[in-house]
Amino acid sequence: MSDDAEKPVSRSRFEREKRARQEAEALLESKSRELFLANEELLSHQNSLEEIVEDRTAKLQAALEKAQAASEMRSRFLATMSHEIRTPLGGLIGMINLLRMEEDDSRKIELLDYATASGTALKRIVNDVLDFSKMEAGAFQFHKEAVDIRALTASVLAMAIANSTKDGLTFRQSISDTVPNLFSGDATRIRQVLSNLISNATRYSSEGLIEVRATAEHFDNGSLLRVEVEDQGVGIAPDEKQHLFKDFSQVQNKLTAAAQGTGLGLAISKRIIEGCGGTIGVESRFGKGSVFWFELPVEIVTGTSVEELPQIPEIKDIEALLKGAKVLLAEDNKINQKLIMTFLDRMGLDADLAENGRIAVEKFEPGKYDIILMDVAMPEMDGLQATRAIRDTWAADQIPPILALTAHVMETIEDESRSVGIDRVLNKPIGFQDLRMGIAEALRGRNRSYRRTAKPRDEEQATVLKLMSKDIAEGLVLAMDAREINALVSDFLDDGTRLLRAIRTGWKKKDFETVSADAHSLKGASGLLGFKDLSECASIVEDNADVLDAEDFAEVTDIIADQIKMIRSEVAS
Amino acid sequence: MKGVVFVELLSMAESAFGEATVDNVLDEADLDNGGAFTAVGNYPCDHLIKLVEGFSEKSGASPEALQQKFGFWMLDFFEKGYSDFFVGKENSFDMLEAIDTEIHVEVLKLYPEAELPSFTTERFGDSQFEMVYSSPRPLVEFCQGLIEACIERFKETATIERTAVPNQPNNTRFLITLTS
Repeated sequence: MSDDAEKPVSRSRFEREKRARQEAEALLESKSRELFLANEELLSHQNSLEEIVEDRTAKLQAALEKAQAASEMRSRFLATMSHEIRTPLGGLIGMINLLRMEEDDSRKIELLDYATASGTALKRIVNDVLDFSKMEAGAFQFHKEAVDIRALTASVLAMAIANSTKDGLTFRQSISDTVPNLFSGDATRIRQVLSNLISNATRYSSEGLIEVRATAEHFDNGSLLRVEVEDQGVGIAPDEKQHLFKDFSQVQNKLTAAAQGTGLGLAISKRIIEGCGGTIGVESRFGKGSVFWFELPVEIVTGTSVEELPQIPEIKDIEALLKGAKVLLAEDNKINQKLIMTFLDRMGLDADLAENGRIAVEKFEPGKYDIILMDVAMPEMDGLQATRAIRDTWAADQIPPILALTAHVMETIEDESRSVGIDRVLNKPIGFQDLRMGIAEALRGRNRSYRRTAKPRDEEQATVLKLMSKDIAEGLVLAMDAREINALVSDFLDDGTRLLRAIRTGWKKKDFETVSADAHSLKGASGLLGFKDLSECASIVEDNADVLDAEDFAEVTDIIADQIKMIRSEVAS
Repeated sequence: MKGVVFVELLSMAESAFGEATVDNVLDEADLDNGGAFTAVGNYPCDHLIKLVEGFSEKSGASPEALQQKFGFWMLDFFEKGYSDFFVGKENSFDMLEAIDTEIHVEVLKLYPEAELPSFTTERFGDSQFEMVYSSPRPLVEFCQGLIEACIERFKETATIERTAVPNQPNNTRFLITLTS
């Protein structure tokens, strides 16, 4: 080969190689040009595409803005209209209520009862249409809160009994033990559906029993709640069943010859239940009666205290509860002032009027009132601002329950009210019974803690409190005596010991999922009682069950065990 | 025809007969490009035939034998330059099937104007394989060489039976039967 490399190349071979190279170079150049041109074309194509995209985006953006503006306008219109319609309607119904109370002439009483019935029907229609519009506008929201279905059913039934004019009807509530004491759900919406079903049952039957039943079975991570409302009324023909839950549909029969309502009630109920992830349905025999039911998957709330929820008072207790209670009413509308002050007076309450939010703030002093009723829309200072001012000035335990009265229906009002510390929102127009029930519930719910704060007890305190975080300990002291607190903590300790054992066994078996779940329970329960260190350790186990090594795991669980031991020794002492 | 074929043919001839013989043949062939070939160019197929004939005259080997030898040379060239095509091929049948279904597909992506021959194939059981070569170019022997090289590459032995297809002068049928 080295010889070959030394050898000179012939002229003809050299020329050929040169020519081949030139040809290759020419080819390369023409290909480069082709490539360049193709690139240019691509670039211009890309630019024009970008222009088109920009143009389309701008058009879409404009369309979107227009749609948003329109939707916003619709929402505002809805809010305004609901306010404008409900306020005078409330005045109207209220005044008729007052007249009825003062009237002795049975002929006029009959007329006034008709007027009340019409007014109430109109109120229901307005509410239905507003709910329906909200659903159509997509502005219908669901909240999560602790729901006590027993109390809720009792209260809805109490209202139904109070409003029922049919003597032949009897009402019964039967809630199975399988139903959890508290579960998380939207109490307002569940109440709405239940009210609707019970009101239908009342409307479509003239005599017999109306029974509300509730059962629950295990489902996923919680329970499947089933609620049934059974009546012995007119029933539903099979061919009418399919239209029952449709918008604006109504079953015609002799009992409702004078058509009442909008036919939206069941359609709204269906949307609510389905919005909460449940199902609704009916079984019926024509002429024999119907069972309307709904099923909701619910998460059980493992609260230790039912105290958080307003207790629903029995009708007979209400009078005693309200008698002499001191109320501050903040309301600017003259008609409403007259109406609600008269209502409060009839309820046996000792009412004081503030013409707007500012005056209410000035009038308020701890211990002076048992409850505050706050209109939302007022001049100078509205109800939300006034509530905030009171909450900012005084400590939580010095402030009685504050109920907002509003004719607004938009969800934002409820949210804002909650955020400033309003305990409950009552919707105007509010009738005598609704207001009475609302006040009674608030008074009953808060009464133990509030009244106790008014005259703090100096009896002995549970020593275990010092192991709890301050806010939780304070809350417990307000609601329970030492014996009750110790009992509560003992229950927790039994549960905690069991969970710790399960966590250790689970970890040995490498069943980290169960370990995490048990640690989660322990974290929740200890957090609820303010045992911070314990809760944090449980949280570490929950989050890291599968990554902790044996030594770390032993250390964390030992701390948990020590904490439990320490708490137990305090309870024992 | 792609220039790479010419460049490889000349390269094979140089290794077999030496530079002087190649220069001689190129001069005598009197080609319109003066015998200057580049791998990236395109040249008429008859140039290839003329060159093969020229080498045949100089060496005494038949043009058919030279074409077959070139088939072996090219398979080697393909394997060195385009080894990806050999990945996952377990035997000669796999490889021969891939000419139309994979290799030519890739070639056409780079050279949309390339005029490629077609190779339709059919298997008869595990050991028999039919391949019909279809091309207006007189390169049947080159094809035969490629097939033989392919069988050898996969360490197989086989008989190759070659028949013309009646009334289809551009088509040639190869029936390959494995003997081991």
